Amino acid sequence: MRIADKMNFDQVKSNLSKNRSEMADLQNQAATQKRVTKPSDDPLAASRVLQTKTEVSSGQQFLKSVDQARTFLEYSEQSLGELSELLIRAKELALAQANDGSTNPTSRKASASEIEQLFSQAVQVGNRKLADRYLFGGFKTTRPPFDVNGKYFGDNGEMQISIQKEGSIAMNMPGNRIFLGQGVKAPATAGPDPAQSLDRPDEEEHIQIRGPASTDAIPLRAGENSEKETGLSETWANGGVNVFNVLRDLSTGLRANDKETVQESLDRLDEALAQVVLARSQLGSRVSTLNSAMESLTKSQVEAKALQSKLEDADTFELVTDLNKSESTLKATLASSGKIIQPSLLDFLR
Amino acid sequence: MSKIHAMMDTGRRSMMNSQTALQTVGHNIANKSTDGFSRQRVEMQTSEPIGTGKLRIGTGSKTAVVARINNPYLEKQIGAEQAKLGFYDGKGDALVRVEQVYNEQINRGLNSFMTDFFNSVREFSNNPESMATRTQVKEMGEFLTKDFKRVSQQLSEIQRDVDVQIGTHIHEINETTREIAKLNEKIQMIQVSGGPANDERDRRDLLIKQLGEKINIRWAEGEDGMVTISAGTSALLVTGYDVKTLEVKSTPARENKGEGHVDIFYRSSEHGDPFVITGQINGGRVGGLLEVRDQTINGLHDDIDEMAQRLADNFNEIHRQGFDAYNQKAGDFFEISEDAPHAAESLRLTDMISNDVGRIASGGQPFAPGDNRIALQLGQLQFDGVMEDGHSTLDAFYNSMVGQVGIHSKRVQGAQASQGDIVKQLGNIRESISGVSIDEETTKLIEYQKAFDASARLIRTADEMFDTVLSLKRM
Repeated sequence: MRIADKMNFDQVKSNLSKNRSEMADLQNQAATQKRVTKPSDDPLAASRVLQTKTEVSSGQQFLKSVDQARTFLEYSEQSLGELSELLIRAKELALAQANDGSTNPTSRKASASEIEQLFSQAVQVGNRKLADRYLFGGFKTTRPPFDVNGKYFGDNGEMQISIQKEGSIAMNMPGNRIFLGQGVKAPATAGPDPAQSLDRPDEEEHIQIRGPASTDAIPLRAGENSEKETGLSETWANGGVNVFNVLRDLSTGLRANDKETVQESLDRLDEALAQVVLARSQLGSRVSTLNSAMESLTKSQVEAKALQSKLEDADTFELVTDLNKSESTLKATLASSGKIIQPSLLDFLR
Repeated sequence: MSKIHAMMDTGRRSMMNSQTALQTVGHNIANKSTDGFSRQRVEMQTSEPIGTGKLRIGTGSKTAVVARINNPYLEKQIGAEQAKLGFYDGKGDALVRVEQVYNEQINRGLNSFMTDFFNSVREFSNNPESMATRTQVKEMGEFLTKDFKRVSQQLSEIQRDVDVQIGTHIHEINETTREIAKLNEKIQMIQVSGGPANDERDRRDLLIKQLGEKINIRWAEGEDGMVTISAGTSALLVTGYDVKTLEVKSTPARENKGEGHVDIFYRSSEHGDPFVITGQINGGRVGGLLEVRDQTINGLHDDIDEMAQRLADNFNEIHRQGFDAYNQKAGDFFEISEDAPHAAESLRLTDMISNDVGRIASGGQPFAPGDNRIALQLGQLQFDGVMEDGHSTLDAFYNSMVGQVGIHSKRVQGAQASQGDIVKQLGNIRESISGVSIDEETTKLIEYQKAFDASARLIRTADEMFDTVLSLKRM
């Protein structure tokens, strides 16, 4: 082939610029530590990186939501713990005053005032606040849900918190359910709300209500015999117990020295206690749902980040190898270019 | 005696021939780096011998022609391949810029603002009573609308820049065609007087190639050596000495072309109305630029507009069902002005929301400050299939859009590179035929110098012979 001078020079030029741009590209990768610096570097990866970025960032928000819901639930559960302590104390008092043997009107009166004390404590529990929000007011979080007489001013709203793409969990339990026993049987629904359909927590609550594990737990925690189990469930089918009424009736009975009322209220106290304990265990199970949600969120965060890194990050070892390779290529090109360009016949005349 | 005369004559002619050849060698060397130059060669022939009786005595050589070494078919092929390269170059250069609009590898973009916005809505649904979370929703909403606007505006900016580039190219095309017409005239004149118009043809070949790189042309050379060039399918640019010009002017929207972007006009006569030939231009740089401006970018505009519209519509629809912090029925959250050319550019928060974050709805009923059902649904919208008849979420739609832009750009870059290789290869073949080699020219330089020297020696010998003859009598 006939070689014209221009061919040599053009070749040297294009080879050098090819080597240089390869070097620049690798250098850019090394500086950013990214394999993909613009969509056309790897369109598929660039598009999936965006997806993982969304996953990581919304996952962080979900984790925040989980944290918040857990604080709310744990505080609610703790408050219900106090409530059940308080009912147990009421039951002790009622038991002690239920027979005639060791009691008299004076001691009943004394117990009555303690029950009244417990009543106002129960109201206080019902009006618990986390930061500025009342725990047991349903959606009405900015005003106390109960007045001193135990009248409920909240609603039966449940604040769903989304904790993953396709799921949410209620972070509160409205006070009318716990304290007034309204709608205990039916799983919580706060009006017609498409967002709440297919929610996991609801299913869990079905399980909690029907499942044997929780019904086992009730008598144990309440320190009761297991005879009442089935009876309790039936009671709830017709609505639960109004805790405040039970306490009020008990104190009235004690004040009136009415043994029958006191004995009756023993059963009702058991029901109230079971109702509170059930609510508590429901809250507890939500907390454990949250815990497992958090675990899987954290895991998927790590996975998403790993995927993102795999997609867009430069492999340092490969990069360094490539850099060395193209550096030596560049040197070879320079050396051979020097040889090609230099001599012509002119250099050898004379 | 006559033979001595003939000797001198032969020597003289030979010296002249050598000078011509040396001059050509010099011309070649000087044009070693001139674009489009084809090396030239002096073709020598033996001149008519003189017959004396049985003998036919040579009278040396004569210069037949100064020819250029050139393969016209190869030139035409190079022209065709360069036209393709021009097309990819035009497209590629514009697409690289389009790609940057969607590049979130380094900067933040729509994807991250979208997630931030929905995260703020989710945080708001966790704390609907709080003014701080409401403010956050407003702030993030504003960032989001700003980024929609940025994408839309940057796309429009590239389109306007493409217009400017097209204008420059059309201007250059007019210059080029004018020069080609002048060369036509020269070439015809030179050919009429008998010689080949080497340098003029080289120059004209180069200009035609440059023209083809800018715009799709068809051309043919007539018997008289003049070329006729037409652009597109019907716009005759050059016929003989005659040149018609192209113009650009911004025109109203039609079909794919957006409002105010330029059309290419062809003026067929001095006084006639120019007519639009934009639709015929589908090759060369201008063709590539037009395709990106009218197809690619308008498609992207439509996509991002649809996204903005769907986001606003769906978000508003849910939002309107809710109640705000003042227990009133809520209004719209986003708004898009109807008469704006691009929904994405005009997307913004309603004045009501941006003036008072209390008007953001969280609940499905009044007088329930903790009610977050509406906010929850709003947050869920990010994962709802609101695009493509419910098949795709906002995120997925946008992400695949970025992927497509990347694929498109990558494909064109690949085509650009391989087409560049083809052109380079052909260029190499051309140089191997028509290019100047210094070694070769140096050799010729020495060769013709030697011939020149020898011819001079011949004349001196003849001169001495004359002297000898003249001094015969004195002896």
